[in-house]
Amino acid sequence: MANEKKHGLSRAIIIGLGGAIGFEIFALLNYAYFDLAGPSMISALFFCGIINLITMLSYSELSAALPEVGGEYTYTKVAFGGFISFMAGCLRWLASVFGGALAAVVFVNQLGVLFSVFAPSIQDLVLVNASLLIVGLVVILIVLSIRGVEEATTLIVAAFLAIFVIFLAMSLGYTLAPQNIVPEASPSSLAVFFATAAYLFPMFVGMRALVTGAPQIKNPGKNVPRALILSTVLLTVVYLGVAYVAVGAVPLEMAVTGDELPLLNLAASAIMGPIGAILFALAGIIASVSSVGTAMTVQSSILGGMSRDGYLPKALLKVHRRFGTRYIAIIGSSLFVVFFGISGAVEFLGYAASFGSLLVFALVNFSLIQLRRKMPRLDRPFKAPFYPLTPIAGIIMSVLLLTFPVILRDVNAESALLSSLGLVAIVLVTYYLRMVKREVDFNRLRVAVGGICFGAGVTLIVLTPVIAPPSLFIIMILVGLVSILAGILNILVSARKID
Amino acid sequence: MKIRRILTAITGIAQEVIGVLSGVLAVMLVLNILEVQTVFNVPPELLPLYLLILGLFSLFSVISGYFLIREGRE
Repeated sequence: MANEKKHGLSRAIIIGLGGAIGFEIFALLNYAYFDLAGPSMISALFFCGIINLITMLSYSELSAALPEVGGEYTYTKVAFGGFISFMAGCLRWLASVFGGALAAVVFVNQLGVLFSVFAPSIQDLVLVNASLLIVGLVVILIVLSIRGVEEATTLIVAAFLAIFVIFLAMSLGYTLAPQNIVPEASPSSLAVFFATAAYLFPMFVGMRALVTGAPQIKNPGKNVPRALILSTVLLTVVYLGVAYVAVGAVPLEMAVTGDELPLLNLAASAIMGPIGAILFALAGIIASVSSVGTAMTVQSSILGGMSRDGYLPKALLKVHRRFGTRYIAIIGSSLFVVFFGISGAVEFLGYAASFGSLLVFALVNFSLIQLRRKMPRLDRPFKAPFYPLTPIAGIIMSVLLLTFPVILRDVNAESALLSSLGLVAIVLVTYYLRMVKREVDFNRLRVAVGGICFGAGVTLIVLTPVIAPPSLFIIMILVGLVSILAGILNILVSARKID
Repeated sequence: MKIRRILTAITGIAQEVIGVLSGVLAVMLVLNILEVQTVFNVPPELLPLYLLILGLFSLFSVISGYFLIREGRE
């Protein structure tokens, strides 16, 4: 360990940018621009940058004070103890699952864009077999041992920055003046503005990769906070520049013409010609493949950490003899990535990834406040300025972004929130079951499963007259009755054994 | 007690069948086999939610059915 090479500030900035610059910019700008906010998407991006910067100040203080491996999981564990840290770990895992699924969808979309330039017939083939391609991509990444990530990150960041700089430089030859980039001061416009910011937020969250890499940075107490702040500012400037040019180059009316190319690919094509379209499609493909791989590694690391602490089965810690990776954790997580990826619902996945990350950000800000009160003498090489305003502002902004898309009744946001809540409920049941005495685990599990079946059966019977088509009415009632009966039987038998 | 055991086993088997069929329906929805998305009028933006609900229902039904079958055989 003594000879382990440590990285300086510049490398730390690259790690931060490498975590954040990725496939999201290829996927998320479309819905935000064409369906939600129009040109005022640029202001929403700026708002995301501000929220990210505020929360990165909290991350900076916590990572400098607690430089151990684990990131959010460690901060919440020290601040609040087991349950909250378990929640933080699970939410981080969820965000990673949804992010990985989104990356897999972007991979297929960008592959389609690339082939649209060369061979439209192959593009159709790609889009028709999207599910198969996603499964194939994930299986290949499971089988491959993911090595040399560090070098790949540097290359990808350098390539991305170069592409974006060329794109911005070439746009100087055009007169681009997008209108209405600031939202109107009306309640409906502000609701759309916040919903757009929530949707675009995953473009920034990868920055925290720097926190997990803190042990590899020289003088982390000084360099990590600096790198976090510098890379956040740099990233926001690059994103704003690219979005400004894209919005200027592609008028909103293009959505009406039925052109299904993503915004960034359309803009690249308009500014740089066919070369631009190819370059951006290639960049999208590389970024998405890299992100799926990273998501799987992150997921296995999170599940491994929680398994080590006894929250999840020890089997998740098993390391493959040849590849040296936690193969059971990777395969388990990959199933979720495939499950959500083959749905192909970019908007749903964007919101779902965002919700998980926003909740984690709120927990990190709460942890900062709690640690200042609980451990006032903790050595803090960096202190978040304007305390307690910064963490409080971070919490309020995260909550705003979480609630507005649902208030706006965006169907994608609603289904994403419901799905996330459903998965969080499973997480809570898991925690409850793992934390009770082992000898009554099995019967408690039966009670829990029985309760779920009973509840599902009652819900089904209540909803059937409202939602069921006549042909399915009797079947749904029967399924509901069987579920209720099964629930009662499971609860009665198990409750007696627990007593 | 014998009647109760038989009832438990039959309910368990019924739940196993329901669970497996829900899982099959989820897969059919994802891959749109036999145009089920159109048959059930599932909007694309709600597909992930349908999948999640069917997947969870299938999972819990199979687990619950297994417990009941085990109970019935004891």
